[in-house]
Amino acid sequence: MTRSWAEPFKIKMVEPIRMTTREHREQAIQEAGYNTFLLRSEDVYVDLLTDSGTSAMSDYQWAGLMVGDEAYAGSRSFYHLVEAVREVYGYEELIPTHQGRGAEHILSQLLIKPGDTVPGNMYFTTTRFHQEHAGGTFADVIIDEAHDPADIHPFKGNVDLDKLAALIDRVGADRIPYFSLETNVNMAGGQPVSMANLKATYELCRLHGIMVLLDATRALENAWFIKQREGGYEDRSVAEILREICSHSDGATVSSKKDNLVNIGGFLALRDPELAREARALLVAFEGLHTYGGMAGRDLEALARGIEEMVASDDHVRARVGQVEYLGNRLIKVGIPIVLPIGGHGVFLDAQKILRHLGQDQFPAQALTAELYLESGVRGMERGVVSAGRDPATGDHHRPKLELVRLAIPRRVYTQAHMDVVAESVMAVHENREAVRGLRFTHEPATLRFFQARFEPIP
Amino acid sequence: MQFHTIIEPFRIHSVQTIHFPDEREREKSLRRVGYNLFGLHSDEVIIDLLTDSGTGAMSSSQWAGMMDGDESYAGSRSFYRFEAAVRELTGLPEVVPTHQGRAAERILFSETLSEGDVVPNNTHFDTTRANIEYQGAEARDLVISEGLEPSTPHPFKGNMDVDALEALIDEVGADRVPLVMMTITNNTGGGQPVSLGNLRAVREVCARFDIPFFLDACRFAENAWFIKLREEGYADRTPTEIAREIFSLVDGCTFSAKKDGLANIGGFVAMRDAELASSCRNLLILTEGFPTYGGLAGYDLEAIAIGLHEVLDEDYLRYRIRSTAYLAEKADAAGVPIVQPPGGHAVYIDAKALLPQIPPKQYPAQALAVELYRTGGVRGVEIGSVMFGEVQPDGTETPASMELVRLAIPRRTYTQSHIDFVAEIIIEVAGHADKIRGYRIVQQAPWLRHFTARFEPVES
Repeated sequence: MTRSWAEPFKIKMVEPIRMTTREHREQAIQEAGYNTFLLRSEDVYVDLLTDSGTSAMSDYQWAGLMVGDEAYAGSRSFYHLVEAVREVYGYEELIPTHQGRGAEHILSQLLIKPGDTVPGNMYFTTTRFHQEHAGGTFADVIIDEAHDPADIHPFKGNVDLDKLAALIDRVGADRIPYFSLETNVNMAGGQPVSMANLKATYELCRLHGIMVLLDATRALENAWFIKQREGGYEDRSVAEILREICSHSDGATVSSKKDNLVNIGGFLALRDPELAREARALLVAFEGLHTYGGMAGRDLEALARGIEEMVASDDHVRARVGQVEYLGNRLIKVGIPIVLPIGGHGVFLDAQKILRHLGQDQFPAQALTAELYLESGVRGMERGVVSAGRDPATGDHHRPKLELVRLAIPRRVYTQAHMDVVAESVMAVHENREAVRGLRFTHEPATLRFFQARFEPIP
Repeated sequence: MQFHTIIEPFRIHSVQTIHFPDEREREKSLRRVGYNLFGLHSDEVIIDLLTDSGTGAMSSSQWAGMMDGDESYAGSRSFYRFEAAVRELTGLPEVVPTHQGRAAERILFSETLSEGDVVPNNTHFDTTRANIEYQGAEARDLVISEGLEPSTPHPFKGNMDVDALEALIDEVGADRVPLVMMTITNNTGGGQPVSLGNLRAVREVCARFDIPFFLDACRFAENAWFIKLREEGYADRTPTEIAREIFSLVDGCTFSAKKDGLANIGGFVAMRDAELASSCRNLLILTEGFPTYGGLAGYDLEAIAIGLHEVLDEDYLRYRIRSTAYLAEKADAAGVPIVQPPGGHAVYIDAKALLPQIPPKQYPAQALAVELYRTGGVRGVEIGSVMFGEVQPDGTETPASMELVRLAIPRRTYTQSHIDFVAEIIIEVAGHADKIRGYRIVQQAPWLRHFTARFEPVES
């Protein structure tokens, strides 16, 4: 019998939210050009736009903000962070950045030369953009199951080793500066990579002299799934599993706004001291001196504490993933199509199946996201053709196989009752799905268009 | 009733312990870090005057604002408060937040500069210069000649030589000057202010050639205070009015909130041109963050919004500028050569004058900075040939025009007794100045070398 879990914390500080009227929301979404990114937070009831930087910190972290050392060079809080990353992730060299994309920026500028190919297990918007910006091309070598929302493969984030081997054959190992391996693949619906696959990928890459760099942003949630689903890991702690994940890599970028339970921050971690030295030379021009990297001292301190806290016991991640599963299971029960298995950081609605009457060029996921907001003030995010952008060569849309609405759940912020409200809202929208109209662009930015695009309903 | 002493317009709300390494420990630390004070752990420093950037104490209202910060990724109410505060202060409608000042510079320059362009400034600061050169453009310093003479007093030593600006535009052509920058106050030149008269004259040249005029406005409030004290017709104006007048003359600005934002992190680039702002936001999303947070936590946006208001308080500015002058007067009274008049945020010791026995290629200012730490655990920073010396193709170096040690005073952080202690150390070091030896570089990075270079003492 499944037992209930409860949050391993009680609430110490709260922030008011307000319910709005349908009329108010109609005006707000129209003003926002049917793009939830452009809504004001005060017009949102339950904000599931992202789990990035939206977490509630603990009292211990808030105390850390007070203790933070703001010295420009050699801050005590920096050394605390170095220790925490060594202890929890196992990388020796730490390059702090103001957030994850700062680390991606430096990594891409450092390693990618024009004409290079960077393989990975499914793209992520900003990651791919940094690779292309540095002159590289992204090559997706994720397993095919990842593109099928209904497939219940336990590790849909896995790398297809045959695809990877074929790619190395085709472009040559010397044109592959590194393999970009994402843990708990975001665009696939928060789907994990198995330890066996991580190990095999690292071995294959090593054979060809290719580095493996993790996007370890949600590696903790990945570790939890390994514990749940992979033989031999049932009795290991997530802390041990996380370290083992990182052992199959040469370094990692991390946006600390996710697993690490802070509102700002990130880092690049490496094993090679020489490479780290080169990275620090870029850091000082783009981000900040190498002992603060664009974060306040207090943020370094809160981050060090967040890293320690997330693996202090398995209770945190159990409750975290448990809450996501609670919402997902409520939707599954009433037959609403979502990405299976339920991911680690959010529930992903299958917009193509829900809005069968809309073609992909009518942006079904964008339309569904706007409709959900209209229904109840719940804010989600489109993860479909709008997010995928256009092919720079042909000018046509990238057409991803997945057309999803992501309901990302901030860590330690919302209660089970909030999840009930969300589930009921999704059900109400599902009920009236045939009335939902498609959208078309009224403004389409050239790059990362989903952030600032504007739409109108197709009459 | 008029009292002589200007006291801090605040009391202390929260404190941080200082450690006191002894002489032996300090010597050991110096060897470990290769005589580069940037490498010291903060616990090894007694009084940290490395920088006034991000090292200030926030007020209880700012801390309360942190608690009230809205961490929403998009459309955070803290962003709208921040945006309103910046608009109200500067009158610039387009506000793009960044994680700190150098990111604002990088974004602005990426979107405006092409290879071969020339950017004039009174004096470029290190990160400004690095960001301009990274774009393949040239950074040209056009400060008035008095600005390069440490001992010559002038009320506005940060002013730009307007004739030189016109000559430069004539020389390279207006189409190769995509913007004119002015740094207020002029940090590299000693934290020296720029007058409104000079800003107007530069504005006029820019208008004539249709070149956008941008400020590096990091220390705008301190500059406004100097205008109030020294420029005719401004004695009765408030710092806020003066600041607004300054911003009314420009097309935009970059800003590090770690100085006159009274915050520990943050910055922005603001401008009038909506189209330029839109391209800046595209790059912002790529490298910093979404336009309504720009790489800052919601709580930081909140703290900056409050800081921008607090910094223009007259009592605060009177205390701030007076406390810097207090240290300068003590050094001056003891015969230590400093940049005159003292700037807003720091006292600059003239190492070339104090250590005439050390040639520029042996980095006299570095030697002085090391000696201040060795003697009393005081950490300053070299602003001379280590930071700005140009390495020539044949390996020799063209020295910087001045060899200064900057003792930057963090805002609202140290008391008068801390400053008295620093003055004693300066006087002690000046007393044995003739025994101080130079340094040579044994390891350095290709750019911004001063942050990580390692040194060795030159044998006598």
